Amino acid sequence: MNTVVIEPLARVEGHGGITVEMEGDAVKNVRFDVLEGARLLEPLVRGKRYDELAPILSRICSICSVAHTLTSLKATENALGIRVSPQTELLRELLFRGESIESHALHLILLALPDYLGYPSATALAADKPDAVTLGLRLKKMGNRILETVGGRAVHPVNAVPGGFGRVPSAEQLIELRASLIEAVADAETMIDLIASLPAADFCHCETLYAALRSPHADSYYAGDEVMLVANGNQASVPAADYRLFSGETAVRHSHAKHSTFRGRPFMVGALARLTVNPWRLTGRLAAAMKRLNLVLPAGNPMDNNKAQALELQSDVSRALEMIEQLLRDGIKDERPVPSQPHAGTGTAITEAPRGLLVHSYAFDHEGRVVSADVITPTAMNAASMEVHFRAAVEQCADRGEATISQRLQMVARAYDPCISCSVHLVRR
Amino acid sequence: MAKPTVGIFGLTGCAGDQLVILNCEDQLLDLIALVDIRDFLMASSQNCGAGPLDLALVEGAVLTKRDEEDLKTIRSRAKTLIAIGTCAVWGGVAAMDRGCDRASLLREVYGEMGAEYDSMPTKALRELVTVDVSIAGCPIETDQFVSAIAGLLNGDLPVYPEYPVCTECRMRENNCLLMEQGQLCCGPVTAAGCKARCPGLRVACVGCRGPARDENSASLLASFEERGFDRQRIAARLRTFAPTGVTA
Repeated sequence: MNTVVIEPLARVEGHGGITVEMEGDAVKNVRFDVLEGARLLEPLVRGKRYDELAPILSRICSICSVAHTLTSLKATENALGIRVSPQTELLRELLFRGESIESHALHLILLALPDYLGYPSATALAADKPDAVTLGLRLKKMGNRILETVGGRAVHPVNAVPGGFGRVPSAEQLIELRASLIEAVADAETMIDLIASLPAADFCHCETLYAALRSPHADSYYAGDEVMLVANGNQASVPAADYRLFSGETAVRHSHAKHSTFRGRPFMVGALARLTVNPWRLTGRLAAAMKRLNLVLPAGNPMDNNKAQALELQSDVSRALEMIEQLLRDGIKDERPVPSQPHAGTGTAITEAPRGLLVHSYAFDHEGRVVSADVITPTAMNAASMEVHFRAAVEQCADRGEATISQRLQMVARAYDPCISCSVHLVRR
Repeated sequence: MAKPTVGIFGLTGCAGDQLVILNCEDQLLDLIALVDIRDFLMASSQNCGAGPLDLALVEGAVLTKRDEEDLKTIRSRAKTLIAIGTCAVWGGVAAMDRGCDRASLLREVYGEMGAEYDSMPTKALRELVTVDVSIAGCPIETDQFVSAIAGLLNGDLPVYPEYPVCTECRMRENNCLLMEQGQLCCGPVTAAGCKARCPGLRVACVGCRGPARDENSASLLASFEERGFDRQRIAARLRTFAPTGVTA
């Protein structure tokens, strides 16, 4: 038995690894190992008050900290029957856009691009291709500007609270944001060209089940309540409250990891899944960009998640602009958070973090203290699907030697944009 | 002259402090040009893993034997070890496990397999090794990070304010959330450096930067109690981010 071990996995968030056991050219076992320490935050927040919860659970992950904060608030508000204003909803959607822009730009340029061009890091790449790296940094900064203006901080936002915002950004602040977003439109176009110019990567194609929030009226990362699963022309719909149907954790024989499956099938979440589930987003400039990227849906190739992120960068920048226009047109109001009365209740929320579906689900006692908290992260959901694609990647190049196998496995892992701090639910070692 | 060698490491945490480093978009390429980065797993697939370092930046707390071994290796390699972020400096939110039975929590979350995991009670770095410089914050502040590195490259240790967030808040002339609105704001006992970001947004300080050094806990506890907060709730709030820094 020959074993390929990639550990630690570099250029991803958190500590992980990949283990492949082979007999000759046959793949016996494939494992996505999570080596992150278990912080046990879910049991440790028991007894905390409802208004202390979001700042603690935000710390599950920095790159998804806006998504964790807002999903936590949405679940809390659902449990306590707090209805937030349309302005709050719009500002929260805008925050999701900011995090998606920051996260996709970081992932595409600093984490994924070096593989395609044969460099160990973006800083090494910067010596030869400074324009590509500064393009990524400019877009990343654009995303962070939205987070700082609306969320109060780029990492672990502080301004979003139960019922609304501590201090709503002023019209002047939004006008400044608009000006820099207008400049970012051209950068997002350039990013499409850059990703379109990369060498093709298609070495683990297999039919894939995709899951994402369904957003029939607008492309929403925050406001939806229904998950759609799509594969091979078939689809299934699951309401948020039944999230256990697709995140039911199953023990699997080849690994200690508990895996998310839907009716026994692994599924993929993230940018590629969002576009596959919501094809009506793909009109106008986005459809044109998709042609330039040579992306056809459903893709079946997880490497296409990089192309999908480039497309989302473009649509996130223009959606953020539209939202700011709307906020300015409606007249931004200095609203205070909707007051809340603690009482017993349960609430579930589901949103689209940059790397896919995120669920927070809580129960509170009559004083508004946490009785139980459940968090299911995108990387935990993706783990089973990653292993399917790892296996396909190895099977398609088993005769090519360990260096090729190792390089391709790392590229597949990075294409999923895993966030391993998020995924500790499946730690085993 | 050879450039100073630098390693950037993450133990268990959210990677937020490493993200703040990557978020210095305007300074990043200039900063990197000044140093020789030997290890930065989050951003590079080429890492040395051994050899001397002039500066080692370490984020996260110690939650596994692997973390502990990594930290000891880093310490043995580094001339100057810098703890970055509240988890490294104070243990952070994972250190809420103090006084809990971790084994039973592990069993609850992971079932019987929980007993097999590499897992130990959360520790801040200074509980295991000598820490030369601490930059607190959850996450660290960009300006404090950039000025600390600029100083360290010239051989200067950074100096941080010993006063609390409250002082910065008053300088910004914010309305007092604790005294005027009766909110449980940790500004009076939390280390400054964030320019009172949260109270400036009318949001109570949660104490994410850890305790201020000149805190006068007894009299402050009295003023919290005056506002109707019981001792248990205050202690629980203060222990959320910096459990290793609170004895009350």
